Amino acid sequence: MNDEQQVYARWLAWGTHIALAVLIASFLAYALALRDPHLPPQELAKLWAFPVDHYIAASGAPTGWGWLQLLHKSDYLIFLAVAMLGLLTVLCYARIIPVLLAQGERWRAVIAVLQVLVLLGAALY
Amino acid sequence: MDWWVWPIALFAVTFAMGIVAVLAGVGGGVLFVPIVSAFFPFHLDFVRAAGLLLALTGALSAAPALLRSGLASLRLAMPLALVGSITSIVGALVGLALPTDALQIALGVAILAIALLMWRSPAQSSEAPPGDALGTALRMNGVYHDAALGRDVEWRVRRTPAAFVAFAAIGLLAGMFGLGAGWANVPAFNLLMGAPLKLAVGSSGLLLSVVDTSAAWIYLNRGAVLPIIVAPSIIGVMLGAKVGARLLRKARPELVRRVVIALLLISGARALLKGLGI
Repeated sequence: MNDEQQVYARWLAWGTHIALAVLIASFLAYALALRDPHLPPQELAKLWAFPVDHYIAASGAPTGWGWLQLLHKSDYLIFLAVAMLGLLTVLCYARIIPVLLAQGERWRAVIAVLQVLVLLGAALY
Repeated sequence: MDWWVWPIALFAVTFAMGIVAVLAGVGGGVLFVPIVSAFFPFHLDFVRAAGLLLALTGALSAAPALLRSGLASLRLAMPLALVGSITSIVGALVGLALPTDALQIALGVAILAIALLMWRSPAQSSEAPPGDALGTALRMNGVYHDAALGRDVEWRVRRTPAAFVAFAAIGLLAGMFGLGAGWANVPAFNLLMGAPLKLAVGSSGLLLSVVDTSAAWIYLNRGAVLPIIVAPSIIGVMLGAKVGARLLRKARPELVRRVVIALLLISGARALLKGLGI
């Protein structure tokens, strides 16, 4: 197995385990009502059949990275796990760039840099 | 119906989906979006976002073991994932901009086409092709150990320019419908590029994890991620997949495959009829 593949696999395995643990813990906090949600489930149920724009306007739910300010609410704590899942690939690609450069694989390092930029662009759009 | 019935029903359905997906050799995403959008009250925007996250989680969980065993290849996936991830962003933006009825119709057509593709089940490519110039320049080649054959298998790829176009289209569909893309990745790797089937299956999940990540961010940033849908679905499918993996030895794959095709036909037809207002 190539060095970069080994590094990628190791980082991905750790990251996925942590993100899934956070997902399960945060969902339990939500389901068991250990913290108040931003939007109570019975209110959410009145909106989940509508398009996302209608839901945002009616619920005052945040867009972009606005959920970071609501991490004390049980429904938005779950976003932490979702964001971790979304950042894992960025992290793994960023980690293998120096490995690829050390192996003299400059083209593949360029591809990895471009991939990080595309993923960050999507995350910040 | 009381609100709490739906997340419980969702957990039960996705648990069953996880079992069936493993037995039939498909990703959970391709079953989740058509079935949940057809039979649950959630809007398609939220279902597609959850479908992407579901497919993403499954792919991320499986990728480390596949990478370590050499059955997934970064060399093979990286250049194509770059193109697919760009088009999946476009697909997600288009999907969120389209009217719901138009999207339902397109989803119905796409699901029926996937069911047809699975039903026809094209023969696998077993030839080892000569590498083409672009694939060689991008170093899309390597060796993996096939435990069943008891030897190392050398691989190269052909038709790399056509593959870039194919994966651009796959990324677009994945982003637009939240379907994951394993159903299309494997034939593109194996039949189009000539990669060995085992490598194609393993690398499909790796590529999917990159492509779905970029589209998932678009849905997340637009506010289309509802924890009450996402969390029970991911947990349900992951637990179901574990049970499915245990049942794999006893199952009759062809029967399960027919069940999956029937489910896709029913939910695809329902999506189409919903879109047409029938």
